[in-house]
Parts: sequence; C-alpha cells; structure tokens
Amino acid sequence: MSRAPYWPINFMEETSMGNKPSRMAGLAAVVVLIVAACSPAASSAPTGAAASNPPASQGAGASAPPAALNLPTVPTGYTELDKALTKGADGKMPFAGTKVSIQTQWTGGEGEGFAAAIKDFAAATGITINVDSIGSSHETVLKTRIEGGSPPDMAALAQPTGVLAYAAEGKVVDVATFMDTAKLKAEFPSTIGLTTDGAHIWSIPTKADVKSMIWYPVKAFAAKGYTVPKTWDELVTLADKIVADGSHPFCVSAGGPGTATGWELTDWVEEVLLKTEDPQVTNDWVSHKVLFTDPKIKAAFDKVGSLLFKDKYVDGGGQAIVNADLKTVMDPMFNQDTAAPGCWMQKIPVWYGPDFFPDKRTNGGDSKYKIGDDGDIGIFPFPTISDQYKGAEGSADSFMVLNDRPEVRAFAEFLATPEGLEGWIKSVGVLSPNVKVPAEWYAGNYKLKVANAIATGATAIGFDASDLMPPAVGQGSFWTGISDWANSNGTNTDATLQAIDDSWPK
Amino acid sequence: MAVKRAEGSGSYGTSPYVLVLSLIGLIIAGFGVKVLIDPHGGENVLASIYDLLGNSAGAGLLRNGGGDQFLAKLLLGAIALLVGVGGIWLLFTTASTLVERLPPKMRDRILPWVFIAPALILLSVYLVYPAVTTVIGSFHDKKGAFTLDNWASLATGPFLEILRNNVIWLVVATAGSVGLGLLVAALFDRIKREALAKVFIFTPLAISLVGATVIWKFVYAWQPPSQPQFGLLNAIWTSFGNTPIAWATTFPINLPAEMLIMIWLQTGFAMVVLSAAIKGVSVEVLEAARLDGANDRQIFFKVIIPLIRGSIITVTTTIAITTLKIFDIVMSISGGHNHDDVVAVRMFTEMFQFFNDGRAAALATVLFIAVLPVMILNLRSFRRQAAM
Repeated sequence: MSRAPYWPINFMEETSMGNKPSRMAGLAAVVVLIVAACSPAASSAPTGAAASNPPASQGAGASAPPAALNLPTVPTGYTELDKALTKGADGKMPFAGTKVSIQTQWTGGEGEGFAAAIKDFAAATGITINVDSIGSSHETVLKTRIEGGSPPDMAALAQPTGVLAYAAEGKVVDVATFMDTAKLKAEFPSTIGLTTDGAHIWSIPTKADVKSMIWYPVKAFAAKGYTVPKTWDELVTLADKIVADGSHPFCVSAGGPGTATGWELTDWVEEVLLKTEDPQVTNDWVSHKVLFTDPKIKAAFDKVGSLLFKDKYVDGGGQAIVNADLKTVMDPMFNQDTAAPGCWMQKIPVWYGPDFFPDKRTNGGDSKYKIGDDGDIGIFPFPTISDQYKGAEGSADSFMVLNDRPEVRAFAEFLATPEGLEGWIKSVGVLSPNVKVPAEWYAGNYKLKVANAIATGATAIGFDASDLMPPAVGQGSFWTGISDWANSNGTNTDATLQAIDDSWPK
Repeated sequence: MAVKRAEGSGSYGTSPYVLVLSLIGLIIAGFGVKVLIDPHGGENVLASIYDLLGNSAGAGLLRNGGGDQFLAKLLLGAIALLVGVGGIWLLFTTASTLVERLPPKMRDRILPWVFIAPALILLSVYLVYPAVTTVIGSFHDKKGAFTLDNWASLATGPFLEILRNNVIWLVVATAGSVGLGLLVAALFDRIKREALAKVFIFTPLAISLVGATVIWKFVYAWQPPSQPQFGLLNAIWTSFGNTPIAWATTFPINLPAEMLIMIWLQTGFAMVVLSAAIKGVSVEVLEAARLDGANDRQIFFKVIIPLIRGSIITVTTTIAITTLKIFDIVMSISGGHNHDDVVAVRMFTEMFQFFNDGRAAALATVLFIAVLPVMILNLRSFRRQAAM
C-alpha cells in the first residue's frame, strides 16, 4: 500500500493485507496472467511441470527432503541461483552459512505467505534469510536505513516512484548487471512489471494485485433477485433498484486507515478512465501530458461522481466516503449475517479479505464468512462501460537489491523465478507477476481465480495511475483534492482538478 | 583550595593501579561497544556462552534467528547498561586521573573542560552537525546542486496554507492553554478540595499526544445521519435536531477541533505552574491591596498577574514551542489531508513520502527559526527569575 503508512495510529499491522492502498502497476500481473492463461501453453507448461516435480536430486543436494519443494530446477537460467542450488566440489552448498536480509511491508497473512515462499530456498541453499517485516512504518525505516548507509540487502516497495528515487541517488543495484535481461523481460513482459530506466532494471515485481473487482453479498443478492451487473448501465439500474428497496448500493472509504486516505476513490476514477478511454490516456495522464483539467479526465471524475454522490447511493454521501475507514467500511454489508446489507457493493483490490470482515477483525480466529460464488461474499468484475476499452487496473509490489553479494544475487534470482512465489501462492494465496506461473497454481483459490479471469478478460492492464505519478501528487495533492471533491459531493470538480494540476512538481 | 585538592588527590592520581584498571576497563568497553554495534550482537554473545556451556543446539538456533531470543535481548540490555554507565564512569575517572597529574595551574584550567567535553562532543555530533547539514541541505536540489527552489516553493499556495495553520496553532492553542490554566489556577485557589479538582485538570498531561488524539477521535466520530452517532459530540449535537458534523475532517472546523486536544493536554501544565506562582504571592501584598480598597478583579489583574509575570512568560513560551512543533495530533487525525497540514507534518511527508529532502530541510529550518525567538525569550525569563 502506498499508504502513507508510517503512523503508529495506523492499525494496519492487524489488517495484514491492508497495507497496500497504493500499489504500483498491476500491469505485470495482468500481463502475466493473460499470457499464462491464453497463450498456447508452450512456455508455461514446462515450468509448471518442473515445479510440480521437485528438483530434489538435481540441485538441492542430499540435504533436500523428498517432499515437493518450491524450488526451480537447475539450470534455472541464472548464474548465482544455479550455484546456490548445486553442491560444490567439497560436498557443501557453496553459500551455506551466509545471510541475506530483506525488509518488507508484509505482515500478517502476507508475512506468512512470504515466509512460506522462501522456506525451501533457505533450507536447500543453507542461506539464512533475515526478513524484517516492518509493516506500516516500512518506508520510513527503509529510507532511514538507506540514507544512513546501512541498508538491508534487499527491500520491497509498493511504488515504482520510490524505487526510481533511490535509484537516482545511486543506492540501488542494477539487476541487469547480473541477471539475464532477455529472460527477465520475457517473464515480466510489461515495462511496468520491471521498474526500468533505459537499460537499467531497478526492481522486479514480486506480487501483483488486481483492482478491477467489486465485492458483494452473494446470498442477499440471490434473496432479492439481484443479478450481477455486467455493464455500467446495469450497475446503475441495480443501484436504483437497491435504493428503491430502501438500502444503499455502495460502500466506499477514502478516510484511511491512518494517513493513507483517498486512494479508494482515486482507484474509482482510474478504473473508469481505463474503461472509457485508450490506455494511452492513462499513460499520458501519469506523465502530465494529459492534465487533470483535460476533458477526458474530468469526464471520468464526473462519471464516478454521478454514481457515488447520487442521493442515497452511499449512505451519507461524499462526506461519508471521506470519513469511512477502510477497516470498517464494509461492515454494513454484514448486517444480520449479510441477510439485510446496509451496503451492497465495494470496489476493492484482490488483497482484501477475511482480515477485514467484522468477526475476524474484532475476535481473531477464522472468519465464519466464506468468500465464493456459493459463499457469503462474492466478487464480480468491475462492469464494462465502453465496448472498445475494457482495461483493468492493477498494481504490484516489487523488490530492489541494495547490496551486491553473490548470495544476495542468488536470492534475488530465486524470487524472480515462478517458484520464488509458489509457496505463497499455494499457502495464503497471491498473484504472481511472472508470466511463467502456471494458471493451475491458482485453481484452488476463488479470489485468485476471479482475478485471473478479470485480467485475462481485459483488453489492457493499467497500473494504479496515482502510484506512478510523482508522490507529491499521487499520495499528496490527488488524495487531498479528491477528499475536497467528495466533501463537496462533486460540485467543485473544476477547482479541484485545477488545484491538483497546480501542485504538479515543476 | 587548589593546593589542598592537589594533595588530596595526589596519591590517587599517581596510582598505577588506576591506570591499569582503566586500560582493562577500556578494552572491556570496546568489546561491549562492538557487541552493541552488531545488529545480532546479543544473539551472538549468548550463542558463544551456550557454546562454552556445551549447548551447541541452542547456540545454533540463536545464530539462525531462533532460540532464546528474549534472553538474548535481556543480555544485550544488560551489556548496554554496563557499557553506558560503566563507560561514562571510566571516561571521567581516566580523564580526571590523567589531568590530575598535570601541574596545578594548567590542571585547574583543563579540568572543567574534561567534564563538559563529552556533553559538548555529543551535542556537536547529534545537534549542531545535523542542524548545519539541514540548513545546507535546504539549498540543494536532489542532485546536490545549489538551488533556491526549496525556499521559493514555500511561498506557494499549499505552503502558505501550512504556515497560516501554524500561526493559528501558535496563537489559539497557546493562548487557550495559558488562559484556561490561569483561570483554573485562580479559581481553584479558592475552593475547598483544590487538590482533587486539580487532579482532573492535570491528568490529561500524562497522556501522550497520539493517545489523546485517539480518545478525541472517538469524541469527534461521524456516522451517516441514518446511523446512530457513537461519537460523543455528534450524539449531543444531533440530539438537538442538528445533522451530524465531521468535526475532525471538515475544514475549517477541524482546526479548532485539533487545537482543543492540545489545550486539553496543556492546560494542566499551565495550571500547576501558575497555581504555584499564585500561592507564592505573599499574603501581606494582597492584604495591603485590599486595605487600599482594591476589589477582587483589581487584585487579580493589577497585583497578582504582574507579580507572576515571570511564570506566565515561562509557561507561555514553553507551550508555544510545543505548539510550533505540533506533529502528533495533526498526523494522527488524518495526516493533514484536510487543509489542516502543519510545518512538522509536511516536513515528514516531504521527506519520507515525497522524497523531497531539500524541501523537508527548508521546512525544518523554518521551524527552527520560528522557535528560536521564543526560546530566547524563555531563557531571558529564566535568567531574570534567577537574578531575582
């Protein structure tokens, strides 16, 4: 999340999955998914097969237990990784006893997922991986450590803008200097997937999120005879019906937690833009070639405003959006165990889940609410608006290498392979940005399956635009402006857009 | 005097044992510092101890980030305490032992410096050096070239708004805290259970700014009009038939809402100091004023207030400095996203979120310059009181 996570009051640690309000470009994820799912399985099939057949005898050496390991097969295509997984002439693993530190923002479920992903690598290579899960103050701690000259060996970041800022200061190791660039570009085909600058590759995406989805109470929909809307017009018709039935269609939060305010609303605008205009408009918007005051951007704002600020569409209107906290905003959907929802639809990325459901949030343990088309809470793709543009929005966390040592290279190379995320995908569940990840790894997980379908159905994947804008806008004036806009129920659109344009760094 | 001290310490200073012991102490301290610098120092030391005791399994666990981590942290704490306290004792003993051996005249001149030197060095490293680099940094852009842009940008819209907010904070929150504190101190001076009453005003001071903000967020909580208002203020407000107001997020009502938290916290401090000052006004003076025919109001404004002026200035400047540096409350309410941003919060955001280190440095300098005159006023008032 691009949260401005640094604040102690920000309770994000509890809501593990919550720390990603502003994730970077989900392009990679999408592209990956698309490729994996639609392309003739030529490339993905072998990888998948390899993954399911543990490479125990080949690379991991005698110490490897016989169970299926989440490790790539040697040769992996990466020099240090091959070395790390192959027993040396002296009968020992060459990097055994070395240590690699990585600092991440992943706590809770994400922390568990990452631990599952790297467990087999650490066991097989003898490299000790020290994971610093800092949670909501991750970016602050990271900056202090990097500027202070004692960075962790590697670090994850939600925004490519942050990666580029450190790269400009010369603090980041260019992975193109030691990894096969052609292979990387083939596996992370989108330029957004890899954070690049010319020939330099500054970070590699680790986990991807799809944002173009709406969460809804399945049983209440069935009880009322509502059907899942496929187009914007159907969405409006459904919303009108819900209002006529005396309830409120949408729950939207732009009030945090903590200081990460506004991003859910900016996601709405970005989504509508990707579904009404050519994806190039989004790209030009990010680079300020298209201004906020551009009619196309204003049209997207107006379209969102016409829906969310319409009387009774959100209980309490724009002011409710500004004051609603992400942690609790969907609670009305669970009224009387979702039998009589106080709100019916929330647009929120794939990382959302039971951690936020009221029973688990307050009491811990497992949530009694099941996610699924036959469960309590379901997910449907964000409705299409135009026939021509059916883009989807996504984002990704990426990692950068800060210290150049052979064992650090080996670990970085491992994380870049499909197997680098396999343990996480198969335990907690997460989307990989690597196109070589076989689609069947996601098969058992409803959320990932839906996300996969959304990504494959999209004509283009746009990354979270606000995460690619200069942070002073993307996490600053855009958030401030959209709060103003919501507080006025969309009546001051022109002034808001002008103010954001004025704040763009010269 | 000097001669006497020289005699007294003569045998001490020449003792070779002290030197040898100091040397051993320095070596031990050196090892201690080495352990403290190592990020896994505690684990490694405990692992070595386990190795010596033959517990190689426990040692292995510790070295791989498992095992008795709590014990390792405890050990590290003990080492830090030993090195910290012992190190300072060692430093002063060694230094004074060495200086005592010098000729008396030179020694008397050097000795005071020996004792302030550690403080001076620490201040230079941790205060003066960063302050200087901050000022220099405010004149550099991201590539390290000289620029005035960081300062020029402070004259643009959003920053003028921030500076305006700081001025409002300075005036309203400071005046509110001191004024209320003075009022309460004067009124409580006359009631029976004064101590008990003061406890209620003073207790909030024990709460951290962030904690207080969390409390007040519940007071200011807003719910859609269709829902029950669990926020105290809105529950009262709507019971009179009004529609609920988002006190903490609606500009401009959010400014006084945030300042009220500060006033709630700081009134107790002002009250305690001013109450003590009021009690210090001698009964004779008050009786004389009364004999001269002054009424209560005249006594308060024309006798008591001039007499406790020093305390008022001290309290005002102390609270003013706290207010100028206000960060926690604004950050915790909503991160300054609702036109309530202040210099300290923006400094943090520019630095850690926007990667504008130069502008963050300029804001830090602005804050420093703003606090400076208040501090000077404060020091002067202290000196005047000391002279009295």
